[in-house]
Amino acid sequence: MSDLSVQVPEAVAPEAVETVDAKQSFAAGLAQFLPNIWHSIFRHPLPDSDLGASQTSVTNFFLHIHPVKVHKNTLRPLYTLGLGVMSFVTFVVLTVTGILLMFYYVPSTTQAYDRMLDLRGSVAFGTFLRNLHRWSAHAMVAIVFLHMARVFLTGSYKKPREFNWVIGCLLFLLTLFLSFTGYLLPWDQLAFWAITVGTSIAAYAPLIGSKIQFLLLGDKAVGQEALLRFYVLHVVVLPALVTLLIAIHFWRIRKDGGLSRPVEADLGADQKPLRVEIVSSTPAGKRTFGLMGFVRGPFTKVGNVPDNSVYAWPNLLVAELFVFVITVAALLVVSLLFNAPLEEPVNILHPPNPAKAPWYFLGLQELVSYSAFWGGVGIPGVEVALLMLTPYIDRKVSGVGKWFAKERFLANTLFITFALLNVIFIIIGTFFRGPNWTMVSPF
Amino acid sequence: MSDLNNQSKAPTSRRSLLTWFTGAALAGSAAISALANFIFLKPRATYGQPSRYSIGHPDDYPSGARVSLDQRRVCVVRDGSKLAVISTICTHLGCTVGISDTGFACPCHGSRYDQDGNVVGGPAPKSLAWYQVTLAPNGELEVDTNNTVKQGTYYDL
Repeated sequence: MSDLSVQVPEAVAPEAVETVDAKQSFAAGLAQFLPNIWHSIFRHPLPDSDLGASQTSVTNFFLHIHPVKVHKNTLRPLYTLGLGVMSFVTFVVLTVTGILLMFYYVPSTTQAYDRMLDLRGSVAFGTFLRNLHRWSAHAMVAIVFLHMARVFLTGSYKKPREFNWVIGCLLFLLTLFLSFTGYLLPWDQLAFWAITVGTSIAAYAPLIGSKIQFLLLGDKAVGQEALLRFYVLHVVVLPALVTLLIAIHFWRIRKDGGLSRPVEADLGADQKPLRVEIVSSTPAGKRTFGLMGFVRGPFTKVGNVPDNSVYAWPNLLVAELFVFVITVAALLVVSLLFNAPLEEPVNILHPPNPAKAPWYFLGLQELVSYSAFWGGVGIPGVEVALLMLTPYIDRKVSGVGKWFAKERFLANTLFITFALLNVIFIIIGTFFRGPNWTMVSPF
Repeated sequence: MSDLNNQSKAPTSRRSLLTWFTGAALAGSAAISALANFIFLKPRATYGQPSRYSIGHPDDYPSGARVSLDQRRVCVVRDGSKLAVISTICTHLGCTVGISDTGFACPCHGSRYDQDGNVVGGPAPKSLAWYQVTLAPNGELEVDTNNTVKQGTYYDL
């Protein structure tokens, strides 16, 4: 206002001043209209300084999931292999393709299979979307397992990350259950018999087994009720649970002090953890505390500790974008090259011989062919319980943040043995089992 | 200080009792509604195959016949004037067993049964079920899959 009045000749009447003022401010307001909207959405411009990087990260909903700064060790590709982000990307791809497929799918025993044929024949990109959904599902099972293996083999489940490991285990089980429920939906021979076998395994659980099976199927055998139940579980219940657990999983990564890393990563090469003596004012005693003991959190620097962290923008974001692009590209290529299998429509009278479960359950099915209880309930139950309780059994803090640390030889060997045994059983079940589940040679 | 000590030793205060009641009421309500969900999810009526059904006249099954009724997943066995209905649902994991030269064989995991449904090989944990058969007033045979009978229990025509 005062600037404006300087430019206006003194002779002009006050009303005219107001008009010019109003006109100019209107024009200025108009010019500011779109920028105002823009800046109300994005509080900060693309960062050109460290301060800007922090502000941009903190004021953006999607970016504030990330910390402002991350430890350099977090960004080492060979440490994480990007498997966590990769798992999340497959889940996002599955959610998007799954929602699109829902527009054309009907969970009815009379229509489901026809809808599969329609996807192939008359829906634009139908085959491609189904391929992408199917291959991403397989990929997710494999990648989530590899992610789990990475966390185990680097000892990253140890204090304070015990509970996040448990949530990760639950996410792995939910991933398997999501795959399992999705398996029935095409209502082809493979689907029907795999689910018949799978739900019969549940019936072997002691006491409540047959009740669980009945609740799952809504009937005594796999039929319309089972298809509807599996559909609801597959498209609503399980994805909602997975989304919730992923949110907690991500949140806890930060609350537990970022990704795990070796102790040395936080200290200079010649430094040892600082120790201070705190002399109590009461005469009761003198205690020695490790400073790290009560200063929690990843970036609290005490004394002359070098700063090993970098800004999440752009370092972490570029790394994540890289993993995202690579993962999606790989899924796209596979989906363009290979079609998801679809067998004959369900024929209750003629189970295929042999009837095989999806590959990730073939190790289980191989065990089940020896003993249904031990293969289907006993051994997997013990394995899952051991897996979840690992951080509460193995309390030693040494060897965290390093692949195949010497201090963790026993734990790592046990894990690799269990994993390899399952892989061997999967290979036997996939390639070496013929009609009537007899041993055959694939060559 | 001494007041505080007295309070902690004192019998449950009104406030803590009310807190306790409120907590119990909320937890109880949550438990009951969780239970209600399970009851809701457990179907009272199913829409699949009925558990009692007719399999036709006894004359349809000549002596010595072993006829597999695929839709019903049972096998009708007749030996002279004796007739029995044996389930063809594999006791291992629910596949449909086929009739083989020596009895029954399951295509899924290779369980094998003899003529009476006894396990002779493979992972099956128990023998095939025998269902109750009765002659309905209209002269047709009626099978009740809710009622299993002891193995070797034939219906005398």
